Amino acid sequence: MESFFARYRNLLVLLAILLAQIIGLAVQVHRTVSGRNTLDAPDESSVRLIRLWADAVVTPPEQLFHAAKMGTGSLWVDYLDLRQVREQNKDLQKTIDRLRLEQAELLEDAKQGQRLQSLMAFQEKYIYKTVAAQAIGSSGSDSSRVFYINKGSAEGLDRDMAVMTADGIVGKVREVYPHSAQVLAINDQTSGAGVILETTRLRGILRGNANGRLQIVGLLADQRIQSGEKVLTAGGDLIFPRGLPVGVVDKVVPDPDRDSFIDVIVKPAAHLNQLDEVLVITSTEPRFSTEQQQDLATSETLKGAEADAIKQQQKASQIMAERLPGLTDPNAPPPAAATTPGQTAQSGQTPAAPVVPPTPKLLPARRPDRFTPGAAPSPEASPAPPGEESKPEAKPAQKPEKPTQPRRNL
Amino acid sequence: MNVLGPDYRRDLGVRHYPLLVYAMTPIAALVLQALLPRFLHDYAWFDLPLLVTIYFALARRDPIQGTLMGSGLGLFEDALTQHAIGVNGVAKTVAGFLAGSVGVRIDVENHTIRLLLTFLLSILCSAIYVFIYRVLLGLELEWNWLAELMKSVGNVAIAAVLFPLLDRAQIRE
Repeated sequence: MESFFARYRNLLVLLAILLAQIIGLAVQVHRTVSGRNTLDAPDESSVRLIRLWADAVVTPPEQLFHAAKMGTGSLWVDYLDLRQVREQNKDLQKTIDRLRLEQAELLEDAKQGQRLQSLMAFQEKYIYKTVAAQAIGSSGSDSSRVFYINKGSAEGLDRDMAVMTADGIVGKVREVYPHSAQVLAINDQTSGAGVILETTRLRGILRGNANGRLQIVGLLADQRIQSGEKVLTAGGDLIFPRGLPVGVVDKVVPDPDRDSFIDVIVKPAAHLNQLDEVLVITSTEPRFSTEQQQDLATSETLKGAEADAIKQQQKASQIMAERLPGLTDPNAPPPAAATTPGQTAQSGQTPAAPVVPPTPKLLPARRPDRFTPGAAPSPEASPAPPGEESKPEAKPAQKPEKPTQPRRNL
Repeated sequence: MNVLGPDYRRDLGVRHYPLLVYAMTPIAALVLQALLPRFLHDYAWFDLPLLVTIYFALARRDPIQGTLMGSGLGLFEDALTQHAIGVNGVAKTVAGFLAGSVGVRIDVENHTIRLLLTFLLSILCSAIYVFIYRVLLGLELEWNWLAELMKSVGNVAIAAVLFPLLDRAQIRE
């Protein structure tokens, strides 16, 4: 037995290590109800210890390198390369003055817009708080488009927080360590973000392909999709707030796996390959300050008072409508409550006569004919029996017809 | 040139390196592998942990050491990604074992053979990676074989510089 282990020692060690790793892989992969295998862990709040170790090994040198790079850069920019700084300062001061005026106007518009949206019960979220971070490292694998930033749970970061730059979205936080975090870029194959095309309003899922390019998958072929159309976040994935820029449509290609479906290749708005500084959206609560909250409360109060005033007006107009005279048919039976015979006999009072509105009188027609109101058909005017010719022209001469009063017809 | 003869093989000694080199080279490979793609972007066609695994497995002529080093570096590499931990581990374990086994039989002083072996093991690593991910785990993964080929060529180019540098670090009696 000993000779067996000694002879096949290398092979046995290899098999043992392979077996351990394969079992470890099997533990990590889950099968969903739909029959697909997935890596999503049931407990998303935990971090695998080996990932923590790897981060502890790799991140300190990366942060050191980043600090050295920033230090060298700032030394050059802040102390050595100071030519034309005074002229730039003057220009920038002018720009600041101009922007301050513009900002004051825009702030008023923004406040008004937010107030109106709140009054209309919009549930749209705004970027409330962000944390700036520096990209310090990557996964090192071209099949895994993740990168590391130098902020972690100590700075308030958490899983599934959106990461963006000023140009557009970048990805989401996937793992959080004490002083660093792993960000899954939107051009990774396993990423997914709900997006909407700005003009055609078509919705789809954005993900990356093997070459790291962005594509919207699962769209039915549509001729309206044109190159250059803007792509925005749809806000349905509960990670990216709605309306953030994603990129523009680059081209449309047919889906290789499904007929009548297309893949929309998107050119990202953010420079995903040249990320340096990013913003992590740590809160997406409604962006209202205390003062604005007070304004909103005042608006709500005013809105309630206005509703009361409208109700009072409606009540008053109803009372007035009851008191005002109306068009009443005198031939119609009187209201039962007011003209009951028994009640009249008992009270001995004359029931109030219904108010009859003045009826307009028609002037008598100068040349009445059979269409004149009140010209009731007479026996003479009845149709003549067959064979006898009627002479309507001769009769008025013998017996002129008396103009009649128009019949009141209410 | 006798590179496969058993007598010649017995004459070759096992290389020894300072402990610092053993410890720092894999760590440096991991850090650089994580750092350099930020600057090279889509042109990061190399796998430094694999090169370190192959080099030490060949130099030490020990399949077990190659297996352990490949396993450790592969697992740490996996831990830096969002993928399953163990895919790179299995691939580099096999690569380390093969490199250590072949190192017993060939002349590791021959630079051309080491580079050819590096190229073949790089391709094999990629193939194992795809096999595990798609077949064994049944996960979706798009793959670009041209990129893998370029990565193997990049590994050879870096190995052409790195291996002689590491050769200088060995302890000579």
